[in-house]
Amino acid sequence: MKHLKPLNKKAELLDKAADDGTAEEVFQMITVAGCSATLDPGWEVDAFGGVAALCQPMEADLYGCSDPCWWPAQVPDTMNTYPDWTKEAKSAGSDWRNLDAVYPTDEE
Amino acid sequence: MNLCKWSALLAMGAQVLLSGCDSGSQSKPGETATDGLRDYMVTFSRPNILNLVDLEDDKVVRQCEVPGRAAPGTVVVSPDRSIAYVLSDGFSNAYGFALKDCEMVFSTNQADGNIRVKTMASLAISPDGKELYTHQNRVKLLNDRYEIQPPLLAVFDTSAGLDVPPSRTFPAPRQVTIMTASATGHVYLGGPDIYKMDATTGEYEVALQSRSLQDPAYSPRDILSVWPLGEVNNEWIRQYSVVHFLGESGDMENAEFLWGHERVDLLTGATGSREFGPLDRVLFTGMPRPGNMDTVYGVLNQLQVFDANTQSVLRTIDLEHAYYCINFSTDGSKIYLSGTLDDIAVYDADSLEKITNIQVSGDMGMSNSYIFKRTVI
Repeated sequence: MKHLKPLNKKAELLDKAADDGTAEEVFQMITVAGCSATLDPGWEVDAFGGVAALCQPMEADLYGCSDPCWWPAQVPDTMNTYPDWTKEAKSAGSDWRNLDAVYPTDEE
Repeated sequence: MNLCKWSALLAMGAQVLLSGCDSGSQSKPGETATDGLRDYMVTFSRPNILNLVDLEDDKVVRQCEVPGRAAPGTVVVSPDRSIAYVLSDGFSNAYGFALKDCEMVFSTNQADGNIRVKTMASLAISPDGKELYTHQNRVKLLNDRYEIQPPLLAVFDTSAGLDVPPSRTFPAPRQVTIMTASATGHVYLGGPDIYKMDATTGEYEVALQSRSLQDPAYSPRDILSVWPLGEVNNEWIRQYSVVHFLGESGDMENAEFLWGHERVDLLTGATGSREFGPLDRVLFTGMPRPGNMDTVYGVLNQLQVFDANTQSVLRTIDLEHAYYCINFSTDGSKIYLSGTLDDIAVYDADSLEKITNIQVSGDMGMSNSYIFKRTVI
């Protein structure tokens, strides 16, 4: 971690947990306490530094990644706060126009 | 044990039809459709459909409506091939459906008061079909905070009906994503390592080292494991990538990048690992071909064939789109690519020519496919 500097409270907690030997407790937060606890930022480049090895097209990867909070920064948290985000788009390839931006409401 | 399950066990693979029963039979690699059995696949698709696909005609023949929200869609089929179980409702509960008529015959109630339970893709059934297993990630939801609870292995009685709480639970390892059960009565949990648990006592141990391996000639393994695969080969596998250092440990300039499989034999419980080929593109799943276990096929944007003995690539073809999940017909002649979008691609395993696309109701996402042989439905 010497080349990485925590920028927010959650990252500071992980940094501290690593020092305390309790990092696994932070890992366990993944997917069970909300997508915001997931530290994977989502793919932007593939393992070779390009984009050819990312799933093609990206819609093919959309539900496999959004359902388990793999893309927490790119899509709504469907496991917790926006469970119906994909309700009107059973096929991401043909229904993607129904996948809209989300905004907090009083009900939520 | 009910009469249907007794019948299936006594018949040991023969076609059995008793009054009031729907009993398929155990699939075995190499059997052909001439024995009165045929291949079927079960997989899940959006919005909430459990699909039964006839693989002789390559057509969807049943669509069972699953309660609750979609995902993850992990599926297993009972040993007598009469009931399909699916993990769904936003990683929360499992449901069992009779394949003959889509009647829901089983469902779990995993939540416990204010303790919320999420199960990633960890769903397994006992060899006699009497018990269903899940791995539970538990969080206590309090007014001002969440408290992480220790994870559990939950055991459900499959004959108990609907909305069933666990009949017993055991402390379990963390970070488990997939599971299986072997004929030896053990549950295997795929987490940082592969763990073997006695399903009666809850005692567990490391059956196969993975993250805990300390071999200076290799990097730590990288594993993406949310697809329980290998049933048609009577095994359970998860794919890994690894760096093999040819010189000094950690010298990436003098190293080879490899794909491999960690494996549990579902009949004997034997475990092992094997690298099968070079990593020159990203693959999400791979499987040995039934009847020719030294030939391994892998998939994501391409379909790639490896000779595991020489660790070389035999052939690579481009696909119409990415598919997460590979599987084979029980005789190894056809390849089924599923997951991601709303079609299952069927390829000839020899020529790699596409045979057809099977349309399902919506995206399969991270659902696995479960292929088995049974009597005609």
